[in-house]
Amino acid sequence: MKHTPLRNALLLACGIVILFLIFWETYLRSTGIGISYDDGPELWTHKRSLVTKEQERATVFIGSSRNKYDLDIEIWRSLTGEDAIQLAFEGTSPMPVLDNLADDSLFKGKLVIDVTEMLLFSTNPEDSRLAKKGLDYYKNITPAQWFSFQVNKPLESKFVFLERDYFSIKALLKRIDIPTRAGMEKEPLFPIDFGRISFDRQNKMSDKFLKEISIQDSVKNIWSYYSRMGAKQPPPTQQSIDSIFQVIQKDVQKITARGGKVMFVRTPSSGIFLQIEQQIFPREHFWNRILSVTGAPGIHFMDYPEQQLICPEDSHLSPTDAITYTKSLVKVLETEKGWSFPNKTKSN
Amino acid sequence: MVFNSYTFIVFFLVMMGLYNLPISWKSRKIILLLGSYLFYAAWNPPFILLLWLSTVVDFFVGRALYTQENKAKKKLLLVVSLIGNLGMLCFFKYGAFLLENFVTVVNALGMDYHPAKPNIILPAGISFYTFTTLCYTIDMYKKESKPVKSMLDFSLFVTFFPHLVAGPIVRPPQLAPQFESPKKATAQQIYEGLFLLSLGLFMKVVLADGMLASPADTVFGAQKSLHTLDAWLGVLAFSGQIFFDFAGYSTCAIGVAACMGFTLPENFKYPYAATGFSDFWRRWHITLSAWLRDYLYIPIGGNRKGPFRTYINLMITMLLGGLWHGANWTFVVWGALHGLYLCIEKLIQDMSKKSSLDENGSVALPDQKKNMSWGFMKAMFVFFLVNVTWVFFRAPDFTSAWRLLLSMFSSVKDSKAVLPSLDVLVVAIVIVLMVLFHWRMRNTSVLQAAAKMPAWLLGIVWSAMLILLILSQESSGSFIYFQF
Repeated sequence: MKHTPLRNALLLACGIVILFLIFWETYLRSTGIGISYDDGPELWTHKRSLVTKEQERATVFIGSSRNKYDLDIEIWRSLTGEDAIQLAFEGTSPMPVLDNLADDSLFKGKLVIDVTEMLLFSTNPEDSRLAKKGLDYYKNITPAQWFSFQVNKPLESKFVFLERDYFSIKALLKRIDIPTRAGMEKEPLFPIDFGRISFDRQNKMSDKFLKEISIQDSVKNIWSYYSRMGAKQPPPTQQSIDSIFQVIQKDVQKITARGGKVMFVRTPSSGIFLQIEQQIFPREHFWNRILSVTGAPGIHFMDYPEQQLICPEDSHLSPTDAITYTKSLVKVLETEKGWSFPNKTKSN
Repeated sequence: MVFNSYTFIVFFLVMMGLYNLPISWKSRKIILLLGSYLFYAAWNPPFILLLWLSTVVDFFVGRALYTQENKAKKKLLLVVSLIGNLGMLCFFKYGAFLLENFVTVVNALGMDYHPAKPNIILPAGISFYTFTTLCYTIDMYKKESKPVKSMLDFSLFVTFFPHLVAGPIVRPPQLAPQFESPKKATAQQIYEGLFLLSLGLFMKVVLADGMLASPADTVFGAQKSLHTLDAWLGVLAFSGQIFFDFAGYSTCAIGVAACMGFTLPENFKYPYAATGFSDFWRRWHITLSAWLRDYLYIPIGGNRKGPFRTYINLMITMLLGGLWHGANWTFVVWGALHGLYLCIEKLIQDMSKKSSLDENGSVALPDQKKNMSWGFMKAMFVFFLVNVTWVFFRAPDFTSAWRLLLSMFSSVKDSKAVLPSLDVLVVAIVIVLMVLFHWRMRNTSVLQAAAKMPAWLLGIVWSAMLILLILSQESSGSFIYFQF
């Protein structure tokens, strides 16, 4: 047999790779970073596939990141005895997902729609990109992709370094501070402590984030960046806003006609963020109109003192406040909105 | 199933285990065949029926073609095979394109015809396995090789999972005889196979998907005129992306086959070191260009019918080669440009041959000391012109292609910078290294180079590839050539 160095090289390579991974994982854990799941189209598709299977024992949540931070799924489960299927996307309009659920003739369960007006009424295609990507993956998933997800799930639950958003090569390179080109603004990156993601697709701020004002301020600066970018886009016309109302009305009608239940929620925001939102999207022209055109009930955080919580970076709740908010949400749903959770007594 | 997925890792380990069981060769081949079907069905199970149909029809038609002595009947059988194979390809790949063009022509003639848009899904790898089965029946017609003896061996020849979806396009004598006698990979083959698999995945996952896909997508997706720098970097990024993507797939395929003791033909040989266009096509997608040469260019006359017909034949071959890549006129233009380059190159070669004839009519020997730098300059000129063709290959339509070309070759007013500094640096570094590497390796192979390296150095290089592969976490992006 021809002698080549390949065998020894393979052994050496395996040794180096194993040592490197042990070192990298140990280092990341030593900095206090825990497991966070990749919240890509694969995980979203997994959750979406549960919708019709679990609809007798689950409520579906759609919207944007506020839903993902503000709803504490463990508390929801313990209070209702039912599951919460989180289908919201960060920085994304819920419209594509609402359309998809409305067109799914098998869906006749409970649906909670988070109203973040600047995303719900956005006509910028970028604000629907993630939802469309997720839906596209869900509609075209292959058996091989399904199997890969099943293999990936236990691995992601064990290794911190497998977090794509922060520890992939691309993410690591993006964090290198390189001067920006003339005429270009550098896209800001969210600090890792802002959002750790569970397998339920719930986002949680870390303790470090809650302690350090400077990190909170860095996220506020990111909101300013997106606000500046948004200002460069043409504002939605009255016509486009009217047509979004029409689509929402139609979608809600389709779901309720099949026996489904729809609830709109306005999750908390605070500080300057809230002021801007109130200025651009006055409650009477948007929130009230949604409820009147659809005939669906709604829960606005301003109507419930226990929901008027302060968001550390003006837009999302801390994990502790998410528990408070979720408790209040369940209470209002049961006592005021007539929602019942038949599995509650069995589980509790 | 794609090589860069967890599903494939599990599949490969299970297949290696089952394939090496101490059972009969026939049983191991059945395992290999069932595994290959599973590999294909993991993408879209119903399309496996097409694969079966193609296999069964061509097995029997091929055998009949070889034994049939009646010329008329023989021709009829060949036509049946061509219609069967090309008909399927035309329907799935070109159905919508043909209808769209038909509607354009009819409407231009004043008829108001607007049919519903057909919703045809393109079965993965149909262009590849159609060419594989086609060359078998054509070989049988010409009696260039013997018919495959068993249905099992023929099915494996068509379906063997490493080459099934995106090549290399294998010829019957290259692969079919390998199934006749028991095969077991030697330790050396397994090490080489694993090295090639690691290298192929590194090329695809780290370089194509991780480094170059995003800048290429940004530039080709831009709706406005771009700065010249951005336009060029986007095109260069795509030239690297498509090489690493497709050569990465071929390298994986060759490596996986080697782990089972099989040899697949080489498909890429450092194409960006080509010093001419015929040289380029001897280095880029070698199995396709050889297929087009042997089953299209030569049968339509090749260079046997005078210079003018040679140019026409070259153009026809490259135009159809372009269309093979995709049902869009932009691919035809891509093929036409390559055809044009080849024609011009041939014209220059013919003219220089004439001028270099000495008084006795023999060709003057080229200067042996033609230096490397002249060769490298020629390679860079070819690389430059190839990049121009990639614009048509990647652009979704002619409007985008022209806009990009305009940005590349002129300073457009109100043009935009779209690539951040990091992308500029990454593309510049990766492309420069790629071109230098191609030039350095142009007369050798990666396995030869690996064999010359000390084990410690090779081990470090291999581990670096694996670490970057694991850290890239681009796990399931499909290969560009799947769509062809």
